[in-house]
Amino acid sequence: MSAAPSQQSDLELVGRVAKGDRTAVRLLFMRHHARIYRFVARQTGSESMADDIANEVFLELWKQAPGFEGRSQVSTWLLGIARFKALSHLRKRKEEWIDDADAAAVPDTADTPEVAVMKDNKAGALRGMVDALPEEQRSVIDLAYYHAKSVTEIAEILTIPVATVKTRMFYARKKLGEALQAAGFERGWP
Amino acid sequence: MSEPAKMSRRDELETLLPFYLTGTLEGEDLAAVEEWLASDPAAADALAEAEAEFSGVSAANEAVRPPADALARFNRMLDAEAGPERRASPSTLARLWQGFLGVPSSVAWGAAAAAIALLMVQAVLQPIGSVGDFEIAGTEEAADMPFVFVTFKPEATIADVSAFLAENGATVLAGPAAGGVFKIGIGAVTAADYDRIVGLIAAQPFAETVVPGRKPADGG
Repeated sequence: MSAAPSQQSDLELVGRVAKGDRTAVRLLFMRHHARIYRFVARQTGSESMADDIANEVFLELWKQAPGFEGRSQVSTWLLGIARFKALSHLRKRKEEWIDDADAAAVPDTADTPEVAVMKDNKAGALRGMVDALPEEQRSVIDLAYYHAKSVTEIAEILTIPVATVKTRMFYARKKLGEALQAAGFERGWP
Repeated sequence: MSEPAKMSRRDELETLLPFYLTGTLEGEDLAAVEEWLASDPAAADALAEAEAEFSGVSAANEAVRPPADALARFNRMLDAEAGPERRASPSTLARLWQGFLGVPSSVAWGAAAAAIALLMVQAVLQPIGSVGDFEIAGTEEAADMPFVFVTFKPEATIADVSAFLAENGATVLAGPAAGGVFKIGIGAVTAADYDRIVGLIAAQPFAETVVPGRKPADGG
């Protein structure tokens, strides 16, 4: 007897999608849509773009499921599709590509009004500081903490080398540490 | 470019803490962090900082609320798509190439186009650097090669793509990845050359989406 739909793994559901099971793609949508939507919204800064792209990602899942070989987690695969589609949309909007060399040139956001307002609340301050990170660093932070992706998985999603993932994480955390200190919070590192 | 090699050992361990916290660390990295946490009292403070970041990042993400009617709208889009009888299509070019492999070249392709296409298949299916006579970037060279991400239109032909890449000093570095994305190496030494070739790719009738990646580091 097969498992109940709610207990089926993502991989099993993708197998059902590959056979044309629309219920399976809806189940995957319910499982992953919110995180895909948030990932794109935070990358693009546009909730309407995130809405369009998130739907496109799951339509892509519907189309591409027969070719999915399960070499990565389904969520990693979906985030990779979302990342590419987001970059494509941004490109169409003439957004400027930021390459790795720019990663170290981090703007100082420690004294933004949001941070000043949230000085009495470290978690709230951190939230604002994370939002203020450059996109390429924030993506790494989001993927590590919120999406619980490994270094290797983040490299796959962002199509960057593993060493670059670590570099961006280093600069992101360094920046957060500096911003916390500037906002009056104690922080020992770096 | 900044390299992690410039980090101190402490920096490296700090950088791994987010992954330790979410349980995605393994092997030597996991052992190193565990040893540090067990032996250095300052490590506990560093872990507390990572926990605070975790809370901040979670709050920042959860503050983004997807539309309540997202599933209903997706259902309508899904209903408009083809049914179970649809063809499996892992990616445009992969499908074309797989189809090519199953068809006698004498019937479907001219000899020249077939040779180019076969080499292109090898370039994609084999690890970089293992392709015999085909001029493809070696592993070392490819690691630093400027590149662009490309998806192709359904009507793209292998002959057209192959000929274009060869004429413009471009080569397939990897793909197809999720969404039929190919990573195409660009043999440009200056940023201006890179922009010119990427512009040419984008202008080709076979190109669906073109997203710039790494440019030559000439500052130009």
